[in-house]
Amino acid sequence: MNPEQLLEPEPANLRTFHHTGSSEVPGLKLSIENVGKCYAGKVWALRRFSLDLKPGVLGLLGPNGAGKTTLMSILATITRATEGKVTWNGTDLASDPNALRTVLGYLPQDFGVYPNLNAQEFLEYLAAVKGLDATDARRRIDQLLNLVNLSDVRGRPLGGFSGGMKQRVGIAQALLNDPQLLIVDEPTAGLDPEERVRFRNLLSDLSGDRIVILSTHIVSDVEATATDIALISNGTLVAHAAPEELLRRVEGRIWEWVISSADLNAVKQAYRVSNTVRRSDGVHVRVLTEEPPPGARPVPPTLEDAYLDSLSVYRAGVVA
Amino acid sequence: MKWPRVLWHLVKADFLTRVRRTSFFLTLGFAVLLGYETFAGHVVMQLDDYRGIYNSAWVGALMAVVTSSFLTLVGFYIVKGSILRDETTRVGQILAATPMTKSFYTVAKFLGNFAVLAAMVLVMCAAALAMQMIRAEDRTLHLWSLLSPLLLYALPAMAFVAALAVLFETLPILRSGMGNVIWFFVWIALLSGGVSAAIDHGAGVRTSDYFRDFTGISTMMSQMRGPLLQVDPHFHNDFSLNIGGNHPHHQFLWSGVRWNAVQVVARFAWFAYAFATALLASLFFHRFDPAREHFARKQTPERAPVLELNAAKQLVQSDPWSSRLTPLPPAAVQNRFFSVVVAELRLMLQGHPKWWYIVAAGLFIACLASPLPASREGIILAAWIWPMLIWSQMGSREARYATGSLIFSAPHALQRQLPAVWVAGVLVTLATGGGLAIRLLIARDLHGLAGFAVATLFIPSLALALGVLTGSGKFFEALYIAWWYTGAAHHLRGMDFTGTFAASSTPAPFLILTTVLLAACWTRRRTQLAYA
Repeated sequence: MNPEQLLEPEPANLRTFHHTGSSEVPGLKLSIENVGKCYAGKVWALRRFSLDLKPGVLGLLGPNGAGKTTLMSILATITRATEGKVTWNGTDLASDPNALRTVLGYLPQDFGVYPNLNAQEFLEYLAAVKGLDATDARRRIDQLLNLVNLSDVRGRPLGGFSGGMKQRVGIAQALLNDPQLLIVDEPTAGLDPEERVRFRNLLSDLSGDRIVILSTHIVSDVEATATDIALISNGTLVAHAAPEELLRRVEGRIWEWVISSADLNAVKQAYRVSNTVRRSDGVHVRVLTEEPPPGARPVPPTLEDAYLDSLSVYRAGVVA
Repeated sequence: MKWPRVLWHLVKADFLTRVRRTSFFLTLGFAVLLGYETFAGHVVMQLDDYRGIYNSAWVGALMAVVTSSFLTLVGFYIVKGSILRDETTRVGQILAATPMTKSFYTVAKFLGNFAVLAAMVLVMCAAALAMQMIRAEDRTLHLWSLLSPLLLYALPAMAFVAALAVLFETLPILRSGMGNVIWFFVWIALLSGGVSAAIDHGAGVRTSDYFRDFTGISTMMSQMRGPLLQVDPHFHNDFSLNIGGNHPHHQFLWSGVRWNAVQVVARFAWFAYAFATALLASLFFHRFDPAREHFARKQTPERAPVLELNAAKQLVQSDPWSSRLTPLPPAAVQNRFFSVVVAELRLMLQGHPKWWYIVAAGLFIACLASPLPASREGIILAAWIWPMLIWSQMGSREARYATGSLIFSAPHALQRQLPAVWVAGVLVTLATGGGLAIRLLIARDLHGLAGFAVATLFIPSLALALGVLTGSGKFFEALYIAWWYTGAAHHLRGMDFTGTFAASSTPAPFLILTTVLLAACWTRRRTQLAYA
């Protein structure tokens, strides 16, 4: 079992919501209607993608190259959709992108910092660019630096920061303007286990009164925070449902048993294997199948099982 | 490991990386422009009041001198940065983990640089051919006479520049923009080495002169002298390469360089110098060791990862989000242009050593306290070369540091951030040269004041436009320093952008150019943003 699996989501009763943020904004709605994005060379990264989002955390899951980052970029107004439209509370982004930008927090997958500035100065700069009042910005930056555990190093040039520390600066800048729409693309990349758990909890806390879109390929991140999940593959929406619904779809079809190493290849040929773990008593194999394999016992499904099942069903459909 | 194959692939990858960028076409475009300017008669090589008839020999020599004089200056700025690119793309770390030696790497980088510069020489070869045919003073084509100066003068000079660019990148103090300024003076020294030998020794150029003649001017002049003395026994041995100046009134026939073994060896010696320089660079090359990079991480205070699951869980449970985020009032996010200007100004001025500000303040005071003629003809030049590295960041900082996605997703990025950068640049220009403005005001020199005002708008506009158009500050640095030297420092009418020296001041065209640059910059940035 890897550390991610070990770091189970915190029980709901432990999630203490301390965000004293703005009261819930009624009617927040982000609509994605038949959006497509075609890059040079007629490569479609996204095709006929539709989704309606309301406050909560949407976990956007998909394999590498599925189109997650393209979708994030479109929603963050960084790139324009080739077809379809995106509306924020009914306003088309194409006609008024600033309607969204003023309430947008965006943490891109890859971003840079100005190495000569320290964390405080960098956040002050971005606060100005985002149009924040200087006094409000200063207070907010103080709080955010505390939140991401960078208060002690706020005066040190960003050029000397590690990847994880830069990522935390990125998280802080995304929250500068108290966003109503928070888009985070692979936010836990480079964070240590402790920071990862802290960040997951922050997302959960924030989701009460805003829309949070969390794009990742780390299922456990989504498992811990998402109120809704969208599975994306080859630029199309494979599934959109609550985690419970996705789990229900694979309930009773997940089996586990112990085999010898020698039998592993044969099992892989015969079943859809979702996980294998080597232990002292042999290899613990976890498979997705309708009929129980001999000697196997049913186990509760995880989101990773549901994710793999949905993808394989989708791929089988595409091939067929 | 098969080293020739490795070398080939390193150089090939380096070359392809560059030729697939827009900046490469700008590079070739500059070579084409220079070729055209020479063809159009705006660049003239003359000896006293003579120039050669445009036959293969003269056209070849002219193109070679233009290439080894001007393209070497700009070429350096174009090729410098290949090691930095490997560093920023993290490819360098992968290479560093291979058995490749440091010297192998720097030689490969030198060859990659040379390939790019050789492509520019190729363009000049084509321009030379076109020039001779279209000028049509003598259409008899002698291919060796036409191309040998470019191949034996310009190409070795380019090789040396390619190697120097690698050396500059490996030396910490020369890696930065300061190195770009220093290169200008190195270039002047290289040029003057050959020219002074030619002027001092005339026809009696010594063997050692050939080996220190970077451009080849010394060799060519020694061979042009004889035919010219037959036409004009009073020839004074003056040589000049004029840009847009007076044209010579007389012509003479020159049949080309008569190469001898020493001269050929001397030209090939520049390839050897280049190779030695590339090897020298390997001594200073840090092999992508993060500990030796500029922003080497200081020890602490990043905490060690908590590996114990229980420890992490405990921490989360005992310290849930205790920090509180106060909500922002609805009016907190507004269109505050002035705040963005201040932020951009801080960004521009942050991170320089103290002495930078001391010198800037000294130049301001010198402009203010010196006699007006000294201020407007001399000190202002120093005051407006000093912030070059600040201007060169304008418009390209977002690309250089990959902060575009953070900044361009902010509201009104085009209408607010871009003008704010420009205003901040204008303020820097105004501040550094402001002493002269006060002097001009006191002297009630309205024409000088108008020239000054246009200059304060023009310089940051040029920087911003080139930054936005190319995504790099190098083009501005290369163009500005060349322009500053040829146009402003020599008070060349029509080219003197400082505008405060009455004899060379032409504010109106620079005002028009400023408008064009700003329009181009706005249009380009508009296309860079998904939603303007």
